[in-house]
Amino acid sequence: MTTDTTTKDTAPGAPAPGTTVLDARGVTMRFGGLTAVRDVDLTVNSGEIVGLIGPNGAGKTTFFNCLTGLYIPTEGEVRYKDKVLPPKSFKVTAAGIARTFQNIRLFANMTVLENVLVGRHTRTKEGFWSAILRGPGFHRAEAASRARAMELLEFVGLDAKADHLARNLPYGEQRKLEIARALASEPGLLLLDEPTAGMNPQETRAAEELIFAIRDQGIAVLVIEHDMRFIFNLCDRVAVLVQGQKLIEGDPATVQGDERVIAAYIGEPMDNDPGAAEAAEVEAAEAAAESAAGADAATDAAPGKENDR
Amino acid sequence: MTTQTTAATPAAAPTENASTGLIGIPPHIGRALATGGSILAVVSTFLAWTWTDEFPGDLTFYGYPGGLQVLVLVGGALATLFALASYGVKGLGWLTPAGADAALKYAVLGTFVTAWYTILAISFKLGGLVNLEPGGYVVAAATLIALLGALALPFERPEPDPIDPDATGWELFRHQAGHRWATARAAFASGSPRPVRALPSYAEILIIVAVLALALVVFTYGIGTEYDELFIGFLITAGFAFAALNGAGLVAHASQITARHTNITVCGAFIAAACFPFTQTDDQYATLGVYILIFATVALGLNIVVGLAGLLDLGYVAFLGVGAYAAALVSGSPSSPFGVHFPFWAAVIVGAVASLVFGVLIGAPTLRLRGDYLAIVTLGFGEIFRIAANNTDGTSGPDLTNGSNGIASIPDLSILGFDLGVPHDIAGFTIGRFANYFFLMLLITAVVVLVFRRSGDSRIGRAWVAIREDETAAEAMGIHGFRVKLIAFAVGATLAGLAGTVQAHVTYTVTPEQYLFAGTTPPNSAFLLAAVVLGGMGTIAGPLIGAALLFLIPNKLQFLGDYQLLAFGLALVLLMRFRPEGLIPNRRRQLEFHEEAEAPTVLSKTGA
Amino acid sequence: MNELPQQLVNGLLLGSMYGLVAIGYTMVYGIVQLINFAHGEIFMVGAFGALTVHLYILPDGTSIWVALPLMLLGAVIVSVLVAIGAERFAYRPLRGAPRLAPLITAIGLSLALQQAVWAFYPEAKSKLPFPQIEGGPFSIGGATIQTGDIFLLVAAPISMGFLAYFVMRTRTGRGMQATAQDPDTAKLMGVNTDRIIVIAFALGAVFAAIGGVASGLKYGQIDFKMGFILGLKAFTAAVLGGIGNIYGAMIGGVVLGVAETLATAYIADIPGLDKFGSQSWADVWAFILLILVLLFRPQGLLGERVADRA
Repeated sequence: MTTDTTTKDTAPGAPAPGTTVLDARGVTMRFGGLTAVRDVDLTVNSGEIVGLIGPNGAGKTTFFNCLTGLYIPTEGEVRYKDKVLPPKSFKVTAAGIARTFQNIRLFANMTVLENVLVGRHTRTKEGFWSAILRGPGFHRAEAASRARAMELLEFVGLDAKADHLARNLPYGEQRKLEIARALASEPGLLLLDEPTAGMNPQETRAAEELIFAIRDQGIAVLVIEHDMRFIFNLCDRVAVLVQGQKLIEGDPATVQGDERVIAAYIGEPMDNDPGAAEAAEVEAAEAAAESAAGADAATDAAPGKENDR
Repeated sequence: MTTQTTAATPAAAPTENASTGLIGIPPHIGRALATGGSILAVVSTFLAWTWTDEFPGDLTFYGYPGGLQVLVLVGGALATLFALASYGVKGLGWLTPAGADAALKYAVLGTFVTAWYTILAISFKLGGLVNLEPGGYVVAAATLIALLGALALPFERPEPDPIDPDATGWELFRHQAGHRWATARAAFASGSPRPVRALPSYAEILIIVAVLALALVVFTYGIGTEYDELFIGFLITAGFAFAALNGAGLVAHASQITARHTNITVCGAFIAAACFPFTQTDDQYATLGVYILIFATVALGLNIVVGLAGLLDLGYVAFLGVGAYAAALVSGSPSSPFGVHFPFWAAVIVGAVASLVFGVLIGAPTLRLRGDYLAIVTLGFGEIFRIAANNTDGTSGPDLTNGSNGIASIPDLSILGFDLGVPHDIAGFTIGRFANYFFLMLLITAVVVLVFRRSGDSRIGRAWVAIREDETAAEAMGIHGFRVKLIAFAVGATLAGLAGTVQAHVTYTVTPEQYLFAGTTPPNSAFLLAAVVLGGMGTIAGPLIGAALLFLIPNKLQFLGDYQLLAFGLALVLLMRFRPEGLIPNRRRQLEFHEEAEAPTVLSKTGA
Repeated sequence: MNELPQQLVNGLLLGSMYGLVAIGYTMVYGIVQLINFAHGEIFMVGAFGALTVHLYILPDGTSIWVALPLMLLGAVIVSVLVAIGAERFAYRPLRGAPRLAPLITAIGLSLALQQAVWAFYPEAKSKLPFPQIEGGPFSIGGATIQTGDIFLLVAAPISMGFLAYFVMRTRTGRGMQATAQDPDTAKLMGVNTDRIIVIAFALGAVFAAIGGVASGLKYGQIDFKMGFILGLKAFTAAVLGGIGNIYGAMIGGVVLGVAETLATAYIADIPGLDKFGSQSWADVWAFILLILVLLFRPQGLLGERVADRA
C-alpha cells in the first residue's frame, strides 16, 4: 500500500507554484425559497491543501457542485485560473477541475484500467473516425493513454488489479480508483468529497499520504471532510461552513480553537451550566475521593479521566 | 431466544443424498444404460420408423436414415461420445474439459425429445400409433432408457434453504417447488472447465476453421429444411447439442481459442459466409440467406445504438427505409419522379447520407433529454416515415414516393461490368441472382462489423459505455454526453441507410409496408430490437444469431400462421423476465442485468 | 364546415379522448418511470370489452341508455384486469432492471394483447361496428356535436374532477403523490408503495377504458390496431403537458387535439402546402408538435413531476 511520491516532479496539469487557482467570490445558491449557500468566498492556491468542514447540511456539497458546473450559482462567480467557470460539468473538467463523489460513482461494470482511461477522455481527442481508420496517430494515442493510466494506477497502488472489475474492489480501493480516475484528466485543482468516509484509521492514513503526494506534484486540493484529525493533519488552511455561510477560515490550529466552530459542532453551553469554577471544585473533590480509595489498591490506573482523542 | 429451524433428522442422511442422481438407479447401471441406450438409438435410425412416405423425410428405408432420423442420429452419436468420455476412455478427454456428466445428460435429453417428437409427430400426422414400424418403437424405448440412465448419474445436490416456521402452506409449497427446481437445475450443471492448453498456432487456427465449418454446416442445414417438422427437430437438436457442448466446456474452450486470434476468426467467419452460396444448388435458399444477412446487418447497426451506447431506438427500421428509398429514387426506376440513374457507388452515398441527415434531425432535439423520450420520438419517426412515404403519391401529397405502390422495378446492379441480375458460373458452381447480392451484402456486413469492433474498443466506445453506466459521472470526467450520444445515433442511422441501399436492389421494389414497427416479416423495428436483445446486446455474434433465428422461425413454421405475432410478443415478455441478457451475452451486460450475480474478477478486453 | 368554432369544438373533443388515455401514461411514468407501451392496448381492450358486453351478454335490442353503463362497466373491468395483470406478472419482476428490459417487455405485451384480441375476434382486422346513440346531431352555439361525442363531453370533465379529488383529498391519492416524488421516503413513511403502483395502473386503465368506449361511440367502429397510434399520441400529449403531471395530461391532450384538428383544417389554405391538408397527414402534425415541444419546452406546459432517480 505504498504510494510512490518520487515519480515526476510536477503533474502535467499542475499550475505554477504560488498562483491562485480557484477564486470563488460571493457564491450564493438558491433553490426556490431555500438558500443553501450564502455569499461564500474561497480561494485556493496551487500547492495548497484546503479543507472545507461544517456540520451536515451546511451546504458543503452544494458549494462543491457550484465549483464543478453541476450547479450554476444564483449569485457570485467562480473563477478558475482567472477564467469564469463554464456552465457544463464536462467543460469544467476540460478546464482543469476534477472531482470525486461522496457516494462512489465508479463505472462499476468496467475494469479498473478502463475507469482510468475514461478519465483520460478529456485530454485525448481521437474521435470516431480515428477509431475506425486506426491510423498511427490512434495507436500512439491509445498507447500513451494506457501508459499514463498505468502510471496513475501505480501512483495509487492499484496497478496489480488493472483488469479487475471496479465493482469487485474493496471499498478503500474503490476510493483510490476514483482519485486515480480524477487525476487522469490532469487537473490543476482536485476536489475531494469526503474521501475517507467509511475508512478505518490505516486506510485514512494511507489516504493522507496519497493526498500529500498529489499536492507535491503541484496539484491544488480542496477537501470536504468530517474526520477532524484527518483535516487538521492534512490541510494548510481550513474553512468552516455553517448553514450555508462561511464562519471562519484560517490554519488548522486557529480554526480548531475557535469557540464558534466548537459551538457549531458540539453546541452552545446550557443555561444552568455549572461554569469553570464549579467544575474545578468537583474535579478536586473527585480526585481526593479516588486517591483515598486507591491508596490501598495501588493500581497502575492514572487518576482522573483520560482524554481520548 | 433462538429457534431451531433445521428438521430433526438423524445425521446419517446427508452424505448418502449428496451423490445420488435424480432417479433411484445405482449410478454405474445408470451410466451403462445411458451408453447402451444411445448406441441403440443410433442403430435404430437405420431402421424404418414408418411404413408410408406421407410423413415427410421418407423414414421408410432400412439402412438409410432420412429427415428427422438424421437428427436423432447426430444426437445419439453425440450422447454416445460423451458417455464413453464419462467412462474415462482415453483419447476422449479433450472432449469434456468440464466433465462429461452434464454434457451427457443434455445430449441424451436432446435425443430423447427429438426422437419422441418424431414418433408423436408421425402418429399425429398419420392418425395413430399403428403407423409406426418396429424401428419407431425401438428408438422410443432406447432414448427413454438412455434418459433414465443419464438422470441416475450422481450430481452435487444443493442444500435447501432453512424453512421459516411461520411459513404458510402456500409459502411452504413455493419453497419446496423452488428447491426441486434448484435440484433439477443442479443435475444439469457442470463444473468449470479446465483452462485450454496453449497449442501451436497452426493447431489453434485449424480448430477455428473446424468451428466455423461446423457453424456453416449447421446454418446451411437449418436454412435448407424443407418442412415444419424437420425445422422444429433441427431447433431441438441444435439447441440441446449446444447446451451439451457448453456443459462439456467445449464452448468456453472455443471462445478462448477464438479470442486468441480474433482477427483470423472474423476473417474466417466471412470466408465461411462467402462459402454459403456455393453450398446451394439453386437460388431458393440463397434468397433466404440474403434476407437474413440484410436483417442481421441492420440488427448489428442497431446494436451500436442500443447495445453499446444504450440508446432506446424504437424506429430503427425507418433509417433502413430512408436509405432504401433514397437509393431507389436515384437508381433509374420508372416509378421514380427523378429520372436519374446513378451508378451504384453514388446511390450508396445518397442512401447513407439521407439516413445520416434524418438521424441527426431526429437525434439533435431528443438526445439532450431523458432516454425514454428518445424511445417515443424514434417510434413516432418510424410511423411518420411510413405514413409520409404512403401519402406522397400525388393525391394526398406531392408525388415523391409513388405512395403505397412504392418504387418498383429497380434495375439490377452492374458493378464493374459484373451484372448482379443474371446467374454466373464460377468454378463450376452456378451463382444465381440472389447469391450475387449475397456477396454484395457481405461487403456491407463487413463494413458494419468493422465499425462495430473498432469503435467499441476505443476512446469513443469507452465513452459510450461510461454514459450508459452513469451519465453524471461520465460528464464529470469530461465526456460531452450529448455529442457522444449523437455520434452513436448518427453512426447507427448511416449504417442502416447503407444496408438499405442494397436492400432496395435486392427486393426490386420499395414500399412503405416493408418498414413497419411490427409485422410478420422481418425486418421491422420490433423484430430488430428483439434480434439484438435475443441474440445478446454488445456482442457481434449475438445479433447475427438472433436475426437468423427470428427470420427463420416465422419463415419455416408457417403453421403458426396468424398466431406468429402473439407468440412473438409473449416470447419477448418471457425473454426479458428470464434471460434479458440474451443468448450470447456480453459479460458486462449480463452483470448489468443481474446485479446480485457473482462478477468475475477479471474481464477481457471486449467485455466478452 | 371549416368554421373556427366548429374546428375548436372538434379539437376539444378529440383532445379529451387523448387526455383520458394520457392520464394513464403520465401516472405510471410519474411513479415508476416506465413508458407503459401496452397502455394503448388497454384502451383498445376496454373498447372490445364494451363490445363483448353488447354482443354477447346483453339481449338484442337493449336500449343504448341501458346498455351503455353496462358496456362501460365491462370495459372498465377488462381494462383494469389486464393492467393489473401486466403490472403483477410482467413489470413488477423487472423493477430494478435497466430501462431497456421493461420497455421491451411492454412492447412484447402490446403485441401479444393486439394479437390475443384478434384471436377472440377474428374479424377485428377490419373495423367492427360499435353501437351508437341514436338521435340527431346537436347544435350548441354554432357548433355541431354528434351524439357519439356527447358521451365524451360528459365523461371527460367528470373523470378529471374525480381524479383531482382522489389525488388531492384522499389518503391513497396523497400516497401516490408521495411515491411519485420520492418512493424510498414514502416507504419509510408507511406508504405501501407496491399497492400504490397497482392503484396507479388500475386508475389509468379505468380512464383508458372510458376513452375506449368514447372512441367507439365517436367513430362507430373499433379494430384491434386502434390502440397503437392513439397510444403514441396520448404519450405525446402527456409529454406536452408535463410528464407525471395529471392535469398536464388532460391539458396536453386538448392542446394536441386542437392543434391536430386545426392543422388538418387549415394547412391546406397555406400556399404551397395544399397537398398536406388531408386527414392522412394528421399524425404527422402531431409528431411535429412533439418535436417542437421537446426542442423548446421539454418539461412540458405545466412542468414535469417525476422522481429524481439520479
